[in-house]
Amino acid sequence: MNPVIEVKGVSRSFGGLMALSEVSFAVGEGEIFGLIGPNGAGKTTLFNLVTGLMPVSAGSVELRGKKLTGLSPHRIAERGVARTFQNIRLFKGLSALENVMVAQHARTRAGLFSGVLRTRACAAEERRVERKGWEILELVGLAGRGLELASHLAYGDQRRLEIARALALEPSVLLLDEPAAGMNAAEKHGLTSFIREMAARFRLTVLLIEHHVPLVMDLCDRIAVLNFGELIAIGPPAEVRANPAVIEAYLGAE
Amino acid sequence: MGHFLDNNGFLLVTLVQQALLAMSLYFPLAAGQLSLASPGFYALGGYIAAIVGTLDYFAPWRASLGWLVFPLEWLLAAAASALLALLVGIPALRLRGIYLALATIAFVEILRVLSLNLEITGGAIGIFGVPQLFESRWGYIAVFGPLLVCTLVFGHRLERSRVGRAFRAIREDELAADAMGINTTRYKVLAFVIGAVLAGVVGAMSAPFLNTWNARQGTFDASIAYLAYVLIGGSRSIWGPLFGGMLLAALPEVLRPLKDSRLIINGLVLVFASIYLPQGISGTLARFSPGKRKGALPAGEPQEDA
Repeated sequence: MNPVIEVKGVSRSFGGLMALSEVSFAVGEGEIFGLIGPNGAGKTTLFNLVTGLMPVSAGSVELRGKKLTGLSPHRIAERGVARTFQNIRLFKGLSALENVMVAQHARTRAGLFSGVLRTRACAAEERRVERKGWEILELVGLAGRGLELASHLAYGDQRRLEIARALALEPSVLLLDEPAAGMNAAEKHGLTSFIREMAARFRLTVLLIEHHVPLVMDLCDRIAVLNFGELIAIGPPAEVRANPAVIEAYLGAE
Repeated sequence: MGHFLDNNGFLLVTLVQQALLAMSLYFPLAAGQLSLASPGFYALGGYIAAIVGTLDYFAPWRASLGWLVFPLEWLLAAAASALLALLVGIPALRLRGIYLALATIAFVEILRVLSLNLEITGGAIGIFGVPQLFESRWGYIAVFGPLLVCTLVFGHRLERSRVGRAFRAIREDELAADAMGINTTRYKVLAFVIGAVLAGVVGAMSAPFLNTWNARQGTFDASIAYLAYVLIGGSRSIWGPLFGGMLLAALPEVLRPLKDSRLIINGLVLVFASIYLPQGISGTLARFSPGKRKGALPAGEPQEDA
């Protein structure tokens, strides 16, 4: 099986601190891949390196054999890698619908003048973008809130809107940074089936950072464990759970 | 009657002109870029019109083109402003917030000092006797008016288009916009160029209107005045700079009977407006408008980054 995302010996240092050192792994087509580890293990840093928001210190990231490293974030997004943020980063002053419409930017063409002159092609595109925006909102259960400002949505709704925005980009790879943060047990349970459903429906490969271990164990096909910037274990949930190094990282050594 | 129209015509045209200059600052701001470069492009456009209108070298153009030389001046001003905006914008827009504002102030200052010292711009004296397009000042509403309408339509439609949404996304969160597939550098430069072209064309229309052009046309004071127009009027829709520019430019005239104390009143209006109308006039009006139009800009949201 050819990997969709391949992380090859990626390192990143901040000054003297090694946030990630020579991390390598590959994620296969359609996989739901979990990234876990204690706080400060380098999980979000890894997402930032994959999406180009931060340059790597060494190593590279490939998408279906093509190098992503060195591309600017919008180019990486264009190639189908979408993400959500740990500390929600919606376009707060835009409506929920507009948030989802903005994310279709890379999949649409209207330029400055055709947009202002409202050419026929552009008006048709605009209608498509809006219709698709409503469809995606419907899918995440936010159709009733489309015209509300993103900042006025409840916390859980904002998390779902962020996922909706990422889906609107028509990605093939979706990076979710702590999607369950701040959710209650029922919401977390709902999230598991929601992510599965989305992954199946849009044929997504999902990379997921999550602290809530039961959710990760339940949802993910494979899990990678980071500790102090190093990959200490990788494999199916049951295997990782039994790994002594992982237990030590989480619970401390005897 | 003719005299009355001429005096008030001057004021009316000035109000429209100031509203347009406020809009030239609004476009970069719509993409989150606090640029104070407008007076520089305004001055550039004016000098182009003044030079084409007076220099002997261009006499054959004027003779053969007749009044068509004026639209040509606008086009030249637009092209020159766009070119200069690209040259300045690509490096300058790497700066953010107040640093970009400072860099653009420096840009205005460089142009001002250049025009004070170059021969072609008439040095400190400037250029006199710029040919008139109309006999009365009132007539200029025939050029500024359509430009205002076009700019309003342009701005209004832009807000609801793909490019306008990209601008607003960048203003809301540049990093998230980048991660969502928007080429942020490209759109920041585009917004900057739109503002520059508008200011340049307004300058090229203003030189014949004012009959004279000199280094006092593009100063730091003007940068601050335009910024005040946009902040008081509201920076979230094209209507903001329209209201702000017209009201604030009219205020000193309306208060003229108060003589020197009008400056104090003027200052107080600015202070109170910024305290009580943080969304500007247009933002406050939009908040109270009952019927939300479909796809309308949500208004009245406190801005975290001004």
